[in-house]
Amino acid sequence: MSVVSTDPLIFRQSTVEVPWPAVRWLWPVAGHLSRVGAALLLPAALLALWQLAVAQRWLPEQILPAPALVWQSLVELWQSGELQSHLQISATRVGWGLLAGTASGLLLGFGMGLSRTVHAYVFPSFDVASQFPVLGWIPILIIFAGIDEALKIAAISIAVVVPVAVNAQKGIANIPRAWFEVARVYGFTRLQIVRRVVLPAAAPSLFNGVRQAVMQAWLTLVFVELLASSEGIGYLMVWGRQLAQLDLVVVGMLVIGVVGVALDVALRSLESRLQRWRISAF
Amino acid sequence: MKRRTFAAVLGAAPLLALNPLRAFSADDKPAVIRISFPNAGTGGRPLGGGSFPHNAHHLRAIDEEFKADGIRVEWKFFPGAGPALNESFANGLTDFAFGHGDLPLIVGRSTGLKHKVLMSSGRGGDNYFVVPSSSSAKSLPELKGKRIATFKGTAGQLTLYRFLEKFGLSEKDFRIISLDNDSTLAALSTGDIDGTVRAPFDVEARGVARRIHEILDDPYISRPGTVWVGEEFEKKYPHIVQRVVTRLVKVAQWSAQETNREKQYQLWATSGTPYVDYKKGWERTKDLRDRMNPLLDEYYTASIQKSIEETRKYKLIRRDVSIDGWIEPKYLNNALKELKLEDYWPQQDAAGKVKVPARKLA
Repeated sequence: MSVVSTDPLIFRQSTVEVPWPAVRWLWPVAGHLSRVGAALLLPAALLALWQLAVAQRWLPEQILPAPALVWQSLVELWQSGELQSHLQISATRVGWGLLAGTASGLLLGFGMGLSRTVHAYVFPSFDVASQFPVLGWIPILIIFAGIDEALKIAAISIAVVVPVAVNAQKGIANIPRAWFEVARVYGFTRLQIVRRVVLPAAAPSLFNGVRQAVMQAWLTLVFVELLASSEGIGYLMVWGRQLAQLDLVVVGMLVIGVVGVALDVALRSLESRLQRWRISAF
Repeated sequence: MKRRTFAAVLGAAPLLALNPLRAFSADDKPAVIRISFPNAGTGGRPLGGGSFPHNAHHLRAIDEEFKADGIRVEWKFFPGAGPALNESFANGLTDFAFGHGDLPLIVGRSTGLKHKVLMSSGRGGDNYFVVPSSSSAKSLPELKGKRIATFKGTAGQLTLYRFLEKFGLSEKDFRIISLDNDSTLAALSTGDIDGTVRAPFDVEARGVARRIHEILDDPYISRPGTVWVGEEFEKKYPHIVQRVVTRLVKVAQWSAQETNREKQYQLWATSGTPYVDYKKGWERTKDLRDRMNPLLDEYYTASIQKSIEETRKYKLIRRDVSIDGWIEPKYLNNALKELKLEDYWPQQDAAGKVKVPARKLA
């Protein structure tokens, strides 16, 4: 769509004069490399700034740990297996929270999107409830769920429900009326309408919701682990701060960032796999 | 035009550069003294209790001392406790700490924070292990594998570890979670934790919790707190440090007098910690001088040394800490001499036994 596209497909079909046809394959590779390079430019600059800030002592060493120290802590935590066990615990919490939250979010979203009755009864309340940030739920959740695992999973689920339900409902609401009319002409049953019209048409929006949900889940996880934990990535960060070992805090941030990107990439590839029909349809 | 602006900037630059320096050294005194406490009252209110440095705040003693000089005193209270005080000092926002627990004090020094120990902020006291009133536990070993709360990174963490050690247990036998004091109290009432070390009087009176163990007057479990000054401040304004210390010793003497006992409980209770916790927590202390004691005696030094060894043992610090060159007793000694209080407080030996008894009071 954009004018300057680096998509390898376009290069292959284009009639751009390539001086040496023998190295034509280099073009897409160069395109890839330049994109990776461009993406790495900002982190590299930040890293350099960080190193400079440490070397010039712009901030006290107790507040800003050196990159080398962070790396060393990361390696040590990995080799001792501590990082993996914290990550596993956090991932389990996120997993359960996502499962419960996505399931109820989809149920709500589909209900509100497909049925006018459900929409009329539920949407206004949902709209109000979805305005509260998760932080606002915590005090009342503590009263009902205590401070243990139940609190963590409940808070994550709440954070997940909203984006999933909103996106599901919007995705369904935005399906052109005409498509339903066509389905009716073909004599589709309700189930067929859902399977062959609603699901494919709403899929991009659904995936959008799930991706937002994953991000929300990690954000919430870190917050609830700050509250009362004895393990997990969020706990590792609190612990690091309490003992003035800020490198642990940075390690936690890096791990959350990497896991977040990995999940996002996985969801994207799953989405594009499920969306193949779109490409072949046009 | 451009050239003139450039010339003006060039001309102004040295002035700008010099100005702050001149403001600092103008008459050898700071514009403000920033004093921090490693705690805050209930709900974060800027009040505290239980020590003579807190009385200095309640009585506005330091403010009065420097009023005539036009030096402002800024009091800071940290709900994040000792670790938050370290962060504040690392950011250059604190000059004095009016009490700092052993663990955060040592952690701070291990990360390269530079301060001088001026006096002890108090010592002694009792420790209680409490469980929710719904709990059926009668002793610590029954709680193995259960959830115990402490505010990690504060002196309370090491106190808990020593408590467990006393029963032949270690921190690995429990799930130890980190909660601040307000949250610990809330979690105790809801039964979300299975136990903690804290004052039992108010929670027992309200039927929320009960004690299962008490360790009374054990100088090994309770450790002295510390009053320190930032090294930079001390180098720049030694006479100001002396005045702060002298005034604080006066407050310590006031706090050690029996006639002021009741008054102190009332001042401290404004922090939100219940009056009864102070009253019962101190009524076993017949002579207030035993706990309202600013001395840097053998007991103080040995205690800090022991705490350093514990932080090493539990791997709470990564760079080793040495006590050498850390303690600066000259300000305290000057103050004691000037106020003729050299024999006012009891001196304890390394094990906490009284070595030189306190002066007999008329």
